[in-house]
Amino acid sequence: MAANAPLLELRDAVPSFEESGLMPAPYNLRIMPGECAVIDCRDFERAAMFADLCTGMIPLTQGSIKFMGLDWSTLYDRQLNALRGRIGRISRHGSWLSLFGTHLNIMLPHLYHTTDPFDHVVRRATELGHTFGFPGLPITAPDRLSGADLARAACVRAFMGRPDLLILEDISDMLPEETVLPFFETMTAARDRGCGVLWFVRSTAAWHEYRKAVNIHMRLLDEGLFSLRVV
Amino acid sequence: MTDTSPPPPEQQASSVLAQMAPPEDRRDTGRFATLLGRFAPWLAAIGRLTRHQVRFTLLLIGAGWGTLRESLRPNSWRRPVIYEFRATLRQVIGGGFLSIVITATLAGLMVVSQAAYWLGYAGMAQMTGSILVSVLVREIAPILVGIILMGRSGMLSLTEIGMMVLGGEVRGLQARGIDPFLALVMPRTFAFTVGGFTLGMIFAVVSLLMGFVVAHASGAITSSVWTFFFNVLAAMTTWDYLIIPLKFVLVGFFVGLGSCISGLTVSSNDTMATIMPRGFARGIMLVLVVNILFMLDF
Repeated sequence: MAANAPLLELRDAVPSFEESGLMPAPYNLRIMPGECAVIDCRDFERAAMFADLCTGMIPLTQGSIKFMGLDWSTLYDRQLNALRGRIGRISRHGSWLSLFGTHLNIMLPHLYHTTDPFDHVVRRATELGHTFGFPGLPITAPDRLSGADLARAACVRAFMGRPDLLILEDISDMLPEETVLPFFETMTAARDRGCGVLWFVRSTAAWHEYRKAVNIHMRLLDEGLFSLRVV
Repeated sequence: MTDTSPPPPEQQASSVLAQMAPPEDRRDTGRFATLLGRFAPWLAAIGRLTRHQVRFTLLLIGAGWGTLRESLRPNSWRRPVIYEFRATLRQVIGGGFLSIVITATLAGLMVVSQAAYWLGYAGMAQMTGSILVSVLVREIAPILVGIILMGRSGMLSLTEIGMMVLGGEVRGLQARGIDPFLALVMPRTFAFTVGGFTLGMIFAVVSLLMGFVVAHASGAITSSVWTFFFNVLAAMTTWDYLIIPLKFVLVGFFVGLGSCISGLTVSSNDTMATIMPRGFARGIMLVLVVNILFMLDF
């Protein structure tokens, strides 16, 4: 990636309506390393689809989406997967495999994409678990955890492995209050080392305390993505 | 919004034929078109069914080749893939072991004791080994092992993967850069392959042993167990040493692959009530096809 190049860039990207359900309008967005873009979106599904669009999972009919200078549409499967491994993501739905315990679910992307020693991965996950209020790594199945614990585990997983981009769907309604500050601190630490943040929120309350550190504020509607002034 | 859906097939056929025919033949053409229009939905249904069946076969061939090719790449066997392989192998062998032992015992009681008794009665006791090898070990064992693999583990894989697709977990894996084919299909298929071979060998040994015990107890066989197994092994040809393990391996491979692919290709309209019967029918068909293919050539 060239110096001063955008980390994530959507240039007149028109998603395929059949594949996504997103309106075929041109989307434009540019996130530089270390920047934080907050996107207001009241519809969880639309936010998830837009997140998928940014990770190259939805074909385009026009325009381009580049992450770390690479156009998603020009990459092969293995390259696509490797690049997606650089993204830490918090999803509201469909992100926990009941086949494994929560600890393996948390470490799965890191174990898949890297060759870091297992002990090192466990130690890092446990440290992040402590940060977000876990006494250790939860080993029970995800479907047996409470919503608050799942939100904590989602944060641990997203921040594992020094991602270059964080795509965070809104889990503010599930995240316990005492975890909000560690969440902001961990996000700021990630941004300080150049990680971009794309943060979907449903209401101002979710990001109000962090508003001074936000660089881009947009609203995702049926008609497209619209810039708002950061207050 | 305007409705742009195409007209039904019978209307399309009628209008096309009416436009193509000269004016004097219009009446005959109209009758033919009406007749064709009446059968068009049936023809369309048959076409749909054929395409659907061929689609699965082609998917299976492609996925089989993909599985073999990907498995040869060292970086395909990443840690989560290895965990999945171990977990599935444990489930396949552990879950199927008792069923295999019981089925093998019953098969041994029926086939070995009956064969020994009737061949002895007909004065052809020296044929016991070759008949047991060709009937029990080469023909019956792979089918029974395949059915047990399908019922005990294949259906489980099918349901798990199908539910993961419907619940969005597979999409979640893709969003994190984890290839579902590498993480789920490849390790499970190989676990079924190894499991098929292991359970097949257990089946062969247990069925022969139990048959010997019963036949020996009833006096149909008077030789020792070592002589009995020596006779069975002596009756095996060189091809049998290749074909029998190969059948177990291929039955396991295709049952595993078929279950995973059936699970991975469920549509949003599918439910458990549609996924399971379809997967079971496909699995049984694969078990029989593998056995019949070998029967044709050998």
